[in-house]
Amino acid sequence: MSHLFIRCCMALVMGLVLAMGTVSAASAHAQLLSTEPADSAILGAPPAAVTLEFNEPVSPLAVSLIGPDGVPADLLAAAKGSERITIALPKAMPNGTHVLSWRVVSTDGHPVAGASIFSIGSATATPTAPSTDPAIAMALWAGRTLLLAGLLLGVGGAAFGAITRVPARSDLLTTALAASGLVLAPLVLGVQGLDALGLPLAAIGEGRAWIAGLGTSYGATTLALVIAFVLTVLAVRITHRTARLLLAALAATTGALALSLSGHASAAAPQWLTRPAVFLHVASLLFWIGALLPLLGLLAERTAHANRALARFSCFIPFAVAILLASGVALAVIQLGTPGAQWLSPYGYVLAAKLALVLLLFALALHNRLRLTGPTLAGDASAARHLRQSILAELVLVLCILALVAGWRFTPPPRALALIQAQAQAPAAAPALAHLMEGNVMAMVLVSPAQAGPVTLDIAITTPDGAPLAPQSVAVTLSEPALGIEGLQRVATGADSSWQVNDLTIPVAGTWRIALTIRLGRFEQVGLQGELAIAPGP
Amino acid sequence: MIRSFARASIAAATLAALSVPAFAHVTLEVQEAAIGSTYKAILRVPHGCGTEATNVVRVQIPEGFFAVKPMPKAGWKLETVTGAYSGSYDNHGTTVTEGVTEIIWSDGELPNDFYDEFVFRGTFAGSLEPGKFYFPAIQECATGEADWLNVSGAEGGGEPAPSLTLVPAAATGQ
Repeated sequence: MSHLFIRCCMALVMGLVLAMGTVSAASAHAQLLSTEPADSAILGAPPAAVTLEFNEPVSPLAVSLIGPDGVPADLLAAAKGSERITIALPKAMPNGTHVLSWRVVSTDGHPVAGASIFSIGSATATPTAPSTDPAIAMALWAGRTLLLAGLLLGVGGAAFGAITRVPARSDLLTTALAASGLVLAPLVLGVQGLDALGLPLAAIGEGRAWIAGLGTSYGATTLALVIAFVLTVLAVRITHRTARLLLAALAATTGALALSLSGHASAAAPQWLTRPAVFLHVASLLFWIGALLPLLGLLAERTAHANRALARFSCFIPFAVAILLASGVALAVIQLGTPGAQWLSPYGYVLAAKLALVLLLFALALHNRLRLTGPTLAGDASAARHLRQSILAELVLVLCILALVAGWRFTPPPRALALIQAQAQAPAAAPALAHLMEGNVMAMVLVSPAQAGPVTLDIAITTPDGAPLAPQSVAVTLSEPALGIEGLQRVATGADSSWQVNDLTIPVAGTWRIALTIRLGRFEQVGLQGELAIAPGP
Repeated sequence: MIRSFARASIAAATLAALSVPAFAHVTLEVQEAAIGSTYKAILRVPHGCGTEATNVVRVQIPEGFFAVKPMPKAGWKLETVTGAYSGSYDNHGTTVTEGVTEIIWSDGELPNDFYDEFVFRGTFAGSLEPGKFYFPAIQECATGEADWLNVSGAEGGGEPAPSLTLVPAAATGQ
């Protein structure tokens, strides 16, 4: 029975992994034929409505209007029609550039998405990033704190349980933690989607929130976390030692990988350093923090086996702490930059608070190791009691640290702020260059200026050696999943290896995804993808 | 045996539930063929370019699919483009070094609301590797095109080219 259960779970994981690789592009059957007002139009007065005309009946899944102040408004309820979708706009609309982002589904089940820009008065750029609803911010913060705790204590606990035998109670607790993580991870993804679309918490039941959440960098993290939690539940159920060790190690690796797939720290350059650093940081934390709950259980047993496990933990922990410190210092240095006024930012304060708590935690850990571990191993009952109390205190401290770390999401690091400031202060923002490569095609995309507002794209298409290529056509798609903006599509004009897009307005600052579809011959087409950092407009 | 079948079915069902269905694309009806076997390709065209009717269907014949014969269609002009192969293939004792590289059905009228199939046959060379095999295709309409040229299997780079999976000759019991 339990064997069959385990096999079914493994099949589920296999399916999930396969699906991660095959979730295909939102490729189109339904096609947008026209929009009214036309894309990139500059209007004298606010339009009463926007009309989208498709080649076949569609139903809207998500419609939002992002105004010049960067605040998205949900207009799904205002979208009426099937082949011609008319979206009634709010009465009072400020002057400036507005983005209408939409996602529809056609009768055959294909979702199709896009965005249309129009300006009232004159084209402007959105000055600030969209703000977050306080209720959503609270839900995100609490959800992420609990999720981090579930990861460290659940997945980490299973890893410790795989190395040494732990009481059945600890195994039960680990399973419960992993199971709660399994529920929390998708929930947090939904809230992330709500944040991206600017929807209230009440809209959590709508599918589009999850679709938007999956589109953010957090989507990959969630899938990896779900896999890590499933593997953890399996590892705890399995009695075969080697299989258990293997599954637990796989769960820990996937869990550490999950956190290195998204977040401020992983997004920083140089990525060859930051991503492995985040991975090592989390992996060593899994080893350390994951051991605390099972150790508590073992110490309550007070057997010779418990003493051996404690001695072993005590022997290995300095290595984990060394890795933790080295990776943590590297990441802090990258995020904060050289000492200066930028250290006194909310990000800096959170880091300072975290470091203070970490120092306290280290002091406690050192006290446990130097003062309490020896006597406990020697059989001193009062030392054992003190050690358990001290481990409990460590756990409380860890939860406080995790709550602080989860709060980081709302405070951009000085590194990012400095970048935005430098670009905003430059008289005409310097152009940005994106370098895309796929197979034997290379594209250099020059965005000038590299700030929100009207921009020009210059695209040079060559072989990786720099020899010019002469494609037949070049199509450009820009999207910003973190802000819930679907693809803005343009066909480039040009000839030989030099192509341009002139009629493009990038409405909001952010990290935009650029995708090029290059037609090289009658039957030869290649897709290139990359990112563009767009600064706030003047 | 039953267990591994059950396991495979659960994996497949999870996969199917999470993947986007592909039935609005130009696709091949038979999704698998053995290496070295003769294959009848039925290209399914479910819609036009946007609202426009399809007037021309072009299919590229990649290296490794030889002895190609397209099936004529009433109401459509049928042409082929021939060229040299980079390899040479054994067709029942005769060595072939050139043949059809492109099939064109033109001068037709397939309205967007209707569906049609375009058929050709040929042989997969014994030297091909197992895996995906793509037949890039293009629909041409009065003013536009619908292209099915993405052979990377990945997102981005346009719509996926019609494809099938090549399996080792023994796997299908032939």
